[in-house]
Amino acid sequence: MKKPSLFEIFYIFCFIGIQLLGGGYVIVPLLKKHIVDDKKWMSEDELVNFFAMSQCIPGIIAGNIAVCAGYRARKLLGAVAAISGIILPSFITILLLANILSKFTEYTYIQNAFGGIRIAVVVLIIITIKDLWSKSINSKFAYTLFFIILVLLLASNISPAIVILLSGIISVIFCSVMRKLHD
Amino acid sequence: MIKLYLLLFYEFFKIGLFTIGGGYASIPFLYFLVTKYNWFTNDELTNMLAISNITPGPIGINMATYTGYTTAGITGAIISTLSIVLAPFIITVLFIKLFNKFQSCIYTDYIFKGLKPAACALLTSIAIKLLYQTITGENFSFIIPSNIDTKDLFIFLALIIPFSFFKKNPLITILTGAILGIIFKPF
Repeated sequence: MKKPSLFEIFYIFCFIGIQLLGGGYVIVPLLKKHIVDDKKWMSEDELVNFFAMSQCIPGIIAGNIAVCAGYRARKLLGAVAAISGIILPSFITILLLANILSKFTEYTYIQNAFGGIRIAVVVLIIITIKDLWSKSINSKFAYTLFFIILVLLLASNISPAIVILLSGIISVIFCSVMRKLHD
Repeated sequence: MIKLYLLLFYEFFKIGLFTIGGGYASIPFLYFLVTKYNWFTNDELTNMLAISNITPGPIGINMATYTGYTTAGITGAIISTLSIVLAPFIITVLFIKLFNKFQSCIYTDYIFKGLKPAACALLTSIAIKLLYQTITGENFSFIIPSNIDTKDLFIFLALIIPFSFFKKNPLITILTGAILGIIFKPF
């Protein structure tokens, strides 16, 4: 396999970034098409592994998987080129929109539209929870942890970072104790 | 100004570090920023979220750019966008190098058994708080609300019932929300 140039990596990921609409998962079919089928920078098996891996690493899935693919092609510089490519289209679009949007929000129609849009966002979040639920809440321990954290979050103003840290620690203790008991 | 830049760096670096399971997981962190700083209101944040959903690019990146720009201009946008990817970038590169070691380490598995329900609970609490706020116009409390906005409740039901059956399509959901808002809000 010929080593791709950094610019080529940047350009391909820029192109993928433009096509990314509505969440990180969309990147998988795009990577399959551009990186696996066209460019052959990685095999399909590797893509699936990278995807599984980037889900359990903190951060945005599309960004992580871009870093994996870029690193695979040209090590550290390739990873930098890939992440820059993914970021750039979002960055430019949002900057352009941010300027236009603030001018439009004075109109009643736009305000009403955003009233409806805000409800649509809640609906999108609920649908995401439904998807996440089947993948993450699959044991008595997970159920219990979920409800305890939920009540805690609704009743207090605890920081999300603390919640994530605590649940990681609790889970390690719980699983280790369960394993000891089994042995 | 320098203090604001440092704050943006700190907050978005933290969001990148603690966001487990994709861009939507960063949403609870952003709502937490509303209570911590006066950078934007809940409504403004939800508007930003809608924009991030219907523009190209990962939602987390879009949100970082938007938040950074509205609080501290172009420099702010650059700082928050780079900060949100910094921690995951370093961790991903280390992870690739040590992949086999991590995979066989049982504790990694244990940690994620706890993090996934936590991420799910974080998102659920945000959904409940936002829904309560849209429909009653008040901040969330455990008390049953007295004044319910029937228009908003209707729009919510009109969106959630059909869209929970389809594959998630943010663009169509948000456009439908906008149309319902224009039609029903004035009454």
